[in-house]
Amino acid sequence: MSSGMANEIKLLSGSSHPELSQKVANRLGIEIARTTSLNYSNQETSVTIGESVRDEDVYILQSTAPGDVNDGLMELLIMIHACKTASARRITAVIPCYPYARQDKKDKSRAPISARLIANMLQTAGANHIITMDLHASQIQGFFNVPCDNLYAEPSVLRWIRENMNVEDCVIVSPDAGGAKRATSIADRLNASFALIHKERPRPNVVGRMVLIGEVRDKVAILVDDMSDTCGTLAKAAALLQANQAREIIAIATHGILSGNAIDTVNNSCLSQLVVTNTVPLGDKLERCPKMKVIDVSGTLAEAIRRTHNGESVSYLFTHVPDWD
Amino acid sequence: MVKNIVVLGGNSHPELVERICASLGLSPCNRILTKFSGGETRCEVQDSVRGKDVYIIQTGAGKVNDVLMDLLIMISALKTGSARRVTAVLPLFPYSRQPDVPYKKAGAPMSRVGPDSSVPPTPGPGIARSAGLDNGTDMSGLMSKASLGEGVNGSPVKKSAPNGINGSLSRPGTSGPGSPLTRTFTTHNYENPGLVSTFQAKPGYKQWVAQAGTLVADLLTCAGADHIITLDLHDSQYQGFFDVPVDNLYAKGLLQRYITLNIPNYKDAVIVSPDAGGAKRASAIADALGLSFSLIHKERRPTKITDRQSASMILVGDVSDRVCILIDDLIDTGNTIVRAAKLLKKEGATQVYALVTHGVLSGDAPDRIRNSCIDKLVTTNSVPQDENRAQLGQKLDVLDISQVIAEAIRRSHHGESLSALFAYN
Repeated sequence: MSSGMANEIKLLSGSSHPELSQKVANRLGIEIARTTSLNYSNQETSVTIGESVRDEDVYILQSTAPGDVNDGLMELLIMIHACKTASARRITAVIPCYPYARQDKKDKSRAPISARLIANMLQTAGANHIITMDLHASQIQGFFNVPCDNLYAEPSVLRWIRENMNVEDCVIVSPDAGGAKRATSIADRLNASFALIHKERPRPNVVGRMVLIGEVRDKVAILVDDMSDTCGTLAKAAALLQANQAREIIAIATHGILSGNAIDTVNNSCLSQLVVTNTVPLGDKLERCPKMKVIDVSGTLAEAIRRTHNGESVSYLFTHVPDWD
Repeated sequence: MVKNIVVLGGNSHPELVERICASLGLSPCNRILTKFSGGETRCEVQDSVRGKDVYIIQTGAGKVNDVLMDLLIMISALKTGSARRVTAVLPLFPYSRQPDVPYKKAGAPMSRVGPDSSVPPTPGPGIARSAGLDNGTDMSGLMSKASLGEGVNGSPVKKSAPNGINGSLSRPGTSGPGSPLTRTFTTHNYENPGLVSTFQAKPGYKQWVAQAGTLVADLLTCAGADHIITLDLHDSQYQGFFDVPVDNLYAKGLLQRYITLNIPNYKDAVIVSPDAGGAKRASAIADALGLSFSLIHKERRPTKITDRQSASMILVGDVSDRVCILIDDLIDTGNTIVRAAKLLKKEGATQVYALVTHGVLSGDAPDRIRNSCIDKLVTTNSVPQDENRAQLGQKLDVLDISQVIAEAIRRSHHGESLSALFAYN
């Protein structure tokens, strides 16, 4: 792609997930724009822009690195704002794993709806368009007054299951009622059976009692969820499935946040595999967890960027994995 | 006891929150403010705020991005919880000082290498008094200016020119300008700032640092803040970034009282501004107390070709055999003020006090201050000072700002004028 022409794709990368940005850039056949960011000694974030974005179609890719969510968010906001003041034609925030997605409702008195706050902040900073993936609740799209494309990892997950599992043997299991729709969709596409685990959650990050609804005996149970954070739910669900005589239990989650003791929890659980996508940087977790497999979704993100830039429809990506190779 | 008012404290400065609440005669609002294990902020306000006038106290110290996000989430939670009015009280406003050049995580590099400013040069006969502090004699200052120069000189052609200063010191973190590395990358590598100095803009493009000032102002109003109270903003113009009322309080009164009560023979002292930007602030105190005033000017014009990236400091005014009182709004890495103090001693000052509103002292600033010619550093508790006090001991005096803030909250709540707090004399 020639440089110097106005209105090209400019891909800027936040610092949270440079590998994913590089993969997306490779797919698009472009170079990542020259920016750098660091923290001042007083811990304020500083972003340096090293090339012109004037009149360009700017895409800023920033994921949420576990632990540094707020730093990553501020960096993204500063980058968006910088591009706005530098006269970019359009700024699209590409946020594979939307931060604060779980704080999406006022579930108790005076609880913040932080997901909406983030949406407002992104727009205030100057984002004209949002591309994200597997929002915890798709209603979050309604928090935006600008277009928000919610991509799905489902096509990539389906492909992985078809390539790696014997579909006739599988039961798709949703670890909670909230994920039932996501899991049934996969079960329908695979023509596999479906089961559901009902759970009570007394406090955040704590898991209560669980009940299995459906049959998993002598089957390969595939737990499907949008994110795996502390993995407490997954481990308990896996134990429950084993108690119900599932032959093998694997878990597939789009966002592998895996914070806290997640890796130990997974290693000590009766899960045989944990499959996540690379929306979130995994760091050294792959080495620490031999059960973990990674699905690359950079193709979907890159194709969404390409199609958005060219003004083409992205709905093809909701059901298909783009063929880059 | 003030009624119908709720004071909600952030995590950044619990001690200040306690003091302000004690002064207002109420207890702080119960809340949970922690983090989920994934790093997202968790906030729950446990007392009712419906119809209340809420003041959130959060200062821009520590992990600034967390502090800011906590604040924004609290504001938003209160707004959705039907608070009548939400006022953000930010003694130190985050991102208010907008440096236009990148600098290093550990403060200025090279602070412990080379001749430190710990030994004040003795003024004596034969030494030209008005020579100023040349950069070549101060390694730490020189290196910080060298890294500063990277931002100033955006052209990579200039940067790749051999530079004797950097070559002779050969520190990975600062060897950037001479490095032939030209790959494109994005980095956030705190541990290896060397990567940052190898960052190069596209040929022909002058790199620039994003200014977060308006952004932070916009974010606060977007979250729902109805009113901002802050203290000694670095730039008063910052108030114009907001669409909501901003009350910028001054620590000037406290500093003046300190001078009159604690500096012997203060009538003979000289008020010094360490840079031209703070001249107004310093001269206001000088005028109020009837003291003489002088200014340190940073000479940035190149004198030699190798000095291109360095700046020297020149004192305007006479300080010989007098006590000097440096006045500034913020001390962060402490470079400027330490160099200023050194220059003052060189020019014959007997004692150097540094009076600064916000004592951030990040990186190795406490070490730098301890080894400097500053005899006494005076700051307010607008940011937590416990660690600094432990490190600096007798060299640090902390003034309590909570009364000023509490009074501002009280007046603001009752709809009284705040201007009495602005003009102390």
